[in-house]
Amino acid sequence: MGSKTLIIGYGNADRQDDGAGWHILKNIAARLGVSVPEDPGASIEIEHPKVDLLFDLQIYPELAETISHYDRVCFVDAHTADIPEKISWMTLSPEYEKSPLTHHMSPKTLLSISKTIYDQVPEAILVSVRGYKFEFERELSAKTAELVDQATEKIWDWINKNH
Amino acid sequence: MATEKITIEPVTRIEGHAKVTIHMNEDNTVNHAYFHVNEFRGFEKFCEGRMVFEMPQITPRICGICPVSHHLAAAKAGDIVMGVKPPRTASLLRELMHMGQIIQSHGMHFFELAGPDLILGFDADPATRNVVGLIGADPELTVRAVELRKFGQDIIFQVGGRRIHPNFAVPGGVNRALTQEKRDHMRAGLDKAQETTLIGIQLIKDWADANMEDIEKFAVFHTGYFGLVTPENGLELYDGNIRLVDKDGEQLECFSAQNYLDIVSEHVEDWSYLKFPYYKKMGWPDGVYRVGPLGRLNAVDKIDTPLAQKEFETYRQINNGKPVYQTLYYHYARLIETLFAVERARELLNEPDILGKDILNKKFNFKGEGVGVIEAPRGTLLHHYKAKPSGQLERVNLIVSTGHNNWAMSKSVDSVAKTYVKGPEVQEGMLNRVEAAIRAYDPCLSCSTHAVGQMPIEIDVIDHDGEVTQTLKRG
Repeated sequence: MGSKTLIIGYGNADRQDDGAGWHILKNIAARLGVSVPEDPGASIEIEHPKVDLLFDLQIYPELAETISHYDRVCFVDAHTADIPEKISWMTLSPEYEKSPLTHHMSPKTLLSISKTIYDQVPEAILVSVRGYKFEFERELSAKTAELVDQATEKIWDWINKNH
Repeated sequence: MATEKITIEPVTRIEGHAKVTIHMNEDNTVNHAYFHVNEFRGFEKFCEGRMVFEMPQITPRICGICPVSHHLAAAKAGDIVMGVKPPRTASLLRELMHMGQIIQSHGMHFFELAGPDLILGFDADPATRNVVGLIGADPELTVRAVELRKFGQDIIFQVGGRRIHPNFAVPGGVNRALTQEKRDHMRAGLDKAQETTLIGIQLIKDWADANMEDIEKFAVFHTGYFGLVTPENGLELYDGNIRLVDKDGEQLECFSAQNYLDIVSEHVEDWSYLKFPYYKKMGWPDGVYRVGPLGRLNAVDKIDTPLAQKEFETYRQINNGKPVYQTLYYHYARLIETLFAVERARELLNEPDILGKDILNKKFNFKGEGVGVIEAPRGTLLHHYKAKPSGQLERVNLIVSTGHNNWAMSKSVDSVAKTYVKGPEVQEGMLNRVEAAIRAYDPCLSCSTHAVGQMPIEIDVIDHDGEVTQTLKRG
């Protein structure tokens, strides 16, 4: 991947609003003039002079190497009611957050690994939108669909500001 | 005796998948502990009405940890429903992809999740008791650990063409042949993967030698053991009959997965959504068994690759040839399996037929019902489908690995809590041991959803009047 900004979306598009990250990436791809498969959750791996896009079901350790090659990384996900804002915009710094029982990995943990192994930490933000329904469906709830559009706009502005 | 209750609820993201409750006596000892799973099993209903051909693409989305296992189990169930035998090349390629899954999952679990607890110590500062802390202890090993997982993922990518949601295995075979270039690319990574795994094995053996006291009191109990075997009772991760042995290693059953309903039944407890499978003939709870690395290595007589077999012989000496029942040895067993997976991947890549072009058999002889079985990294995975002649599914039943280990995980939590947790001030290291009891099984509780939400460990000490007397959190 050549450009210096990377957007990483993650989540399960088969669990309705959990797939918000995929829908946001799809919207951004459309603004770049790049098409992605219509199937929610399908792989997105796009290199573009303006910004690179990557979607995965979850984030994992070897992405630490990937992000180490970028100046800026934006993680995109859904969030639950634990976070009060409808659209959350957080600046991230490296911090190892251990998941006690599972293979979960957080963006902060990924930054921490990148810093420690590769001595590189991109400027990083986490943008997440409130998810309301997490049923076995592919269509976003109406409320989250609206937030996805708003978050796309904000991320697009962030991309342009940094390009 | 009055009790108070400690609740550890670390994985509450969407519905809340699991929690641990530790009920304390008035004298600050543990009365009992539970491992509750609040798993929502709506996926089976979601699949009903879909076509059997779609299942290898749909079911990997159950889980972000072992999607390949679901992908292959679905394709294998589809083979049987459609009455078709895949060509040899297709079976070799499916198995190769599965070895990639085993390597990446086991590698990540040992080096990046469980290993730091062992190498740095259960009581080490939580801020450094992780893979980053491990770097301080051994920087080269940590880089190797990341590379090992990446190697496993790369096998999946090279074989399946996609890192997520592979569109590869289908009823009757696979839809993509392997090129010589890709085969050679994978071969080039084998030596380093093997070296890293052998380093891990030495690490766990050194750790075991130095921590025998913990090993001998940490979740130590007998069960049966359950896993796929070759026709000669060797270790098998992709296909074969299921062998069940008792606590002494004596064979109870060796059966086709098609007959699992004759062998296994499920018990229900009102404090967990996840059922408790057990061996029917022995009844509940005498018929409980364990799956996954420890279960598999206890259910087999040998391993058919040289380095893993050599290590297996050492493993089997732990209890003088009897099954290894000490839970912390799950980690040792996991690394022996990783070694097997690397060696087996080498064998598969050296098979001339792996480059064959005959990859799909379309001569269907519709049977209507079938069970696909595979050894997922965390244990035996069963997909049972019943379809109409059109191929539309009427019934879907999935028995996931974590379900088989449900009783053992609960027993381990109870045992470790009673051994290590003491009040009135419950220390972080004590609770880390309780988590480690569950982590040993590498359960898949994170299925389906990955939204951002708080995931602290929250420990509420609640007295018998229902008042919170102590709360501990660790983010």
